[in-house]
Amino acid sequence: MSLHPMYARPRDLEQATQLLASLSSGAVIIAGGQEIMPFINYGVMMPDVYVDIGGISALRGVNVESDEVSIGALTVHRDVQSTAEILERLPLLAYAAQQIGGGWQVHNRGTIGGNIVAMHPLYDIAPALLALDTDVELLSDKGLQRLSLSQLQNDSSHGLGSSSILTRVLVDTMLPNALWGYYKLKNTAGAYGSANAAVVIQMDGEKIASIRIVIGAVSEKLVIISEALDGCLGCAYTLEVGQAIEKACVEAIDEPLSDQQGDGVWRKAMAGVAARRATEMALSNLTNSSIKR
Amino acid sequence: MEDLLDTSALIQLRVDGELHELDVLAGRTLLDVLRDDIGKKGTHLGCKTGHCGACTVMIDGKVAKSCITMAATLARATITTIEGLLDEKGGLHPIQQSFWDEAGLQCGYCAPGIVLSALELVTENHHPSSEDIELALAGSLCRCTGYQSIKRSVAEACVRMYPADENIN
Repeated sequence: MSLHPMYARPRDLEQATQLLASLSSGAVIIAGGQEIMPFINYGVMMPDVYVDIGGISALRGVNVESDEVSIGALTVHRDVQSTAEILERLPLLAYAAQQIGGGWQVHNRGTIGGNIVAMHPLYDIAPALLALDTDVELLSDKGLQRLSLSQLQNDSSHGLGSSSILTRVLVDTMLPNALWGYYKLKNTAGAYGSANAAVVIQMDGEKIASIRIVIGAVSEKLVIISEALDGCLGCAYTLEVGQAIEKACVEAIDEPLSDQQGDGVWRKAMAGVAARRATEMALSNLTNSSIKR
Repeated sequence: MEDLLDTSALIQLRVDGELHELDVLAGRTLLDVLRDDIGKKGTHLGCKTGHCGACTVMIDGKVAKSCITMAATLARATITTIEGLLDEKGGLHPIQQSFWDEAGLQCGYCAPGIVLSALELVTENHHPSSEDIELALAGSLCRCTGYQSIKRSVAEACVRMYPADENIN
């Protein structure tokens, strides 16, 4: 065992997965480094081996195949914000990526893969991706696996970050008439959210045909809320419907976080406020007359 | 697989025009390499967490926080530090001059990072709005100025750097 950590830069996915399989533990996968370098700088994380996947071209690029947008794990936030395919087909994701803190410096180097692997409840990418019912592709020496992001959130055996690589993020193109909103309740421009909400709504005329809300930054795991909103289906948006959405989202939070972003009781209440504001952002795309107050 | 592993990595950096071939230990930051190996002391250490932006440099023309960039991952890269902005005679870059004239800095600790962020902005967008400037500089903290003089400095730099564009609008 070396006293100093080791470094490897595999050329391709095959070499990377073989290498990760040969390193029983203590390996850390690094790409942009924006998540793990602060931990390394302060000695919180002391890996034996860094496996740098930044040179693997298969992890790059955004492609569209039969309405599915496939985003390479190494796609940086700045490209998520500005790539034409994402802006046109997944505007909610592009917008959420703009809300990421840390400024252009972090947006230029932080990757969508790293953001997902971090599974940090305060981050902005996951609420949008969960609202869009995203799948992810994982690769290890055992093969390629495709699973939904919501499954991944509840699975602690995936080995991401050490033994398996998140290769691509797969999202169905949003329907042309989908309405979307994202609201981040925060103290300062670059701050983490105290409550984040992403929403995707389908309207049938002036009536809500489907609605899915994801709450981030309020509990350890992100919360997907859809069945609890069934009471809104078939209704036009009114003040009462907005209040019902707010109530359903507050009730969906079991164990709110208490941290620098705010006390748990307040965070739970703000989950509802963020949800209602995200919903109103989505509906603001319609004419004002359809929102009766 | 063992032959892939090493305690260090050979990297090539062109820093402010000068080529450096370096053997850097795994885990070292670009900030440490720039300051300690190459002597670019204009790149400042602030927080080591990526919050403050004092360590900002450009990697291949895009701003990055050098304290949370692992040097080994930059196999080949072009780096611009604040020291690379001076012209051949040692004169200030128009953005630096605007910061001087408009009091865009006081203690100056954050200034190298903010000036480089401003450079990326004005290179992409010759006429940024006030909101564009805020977004582009959101990755840096300044405890002296209150930011208003910084925003004024960036706006002034655009006018000085792209005067011809003014007539188009």
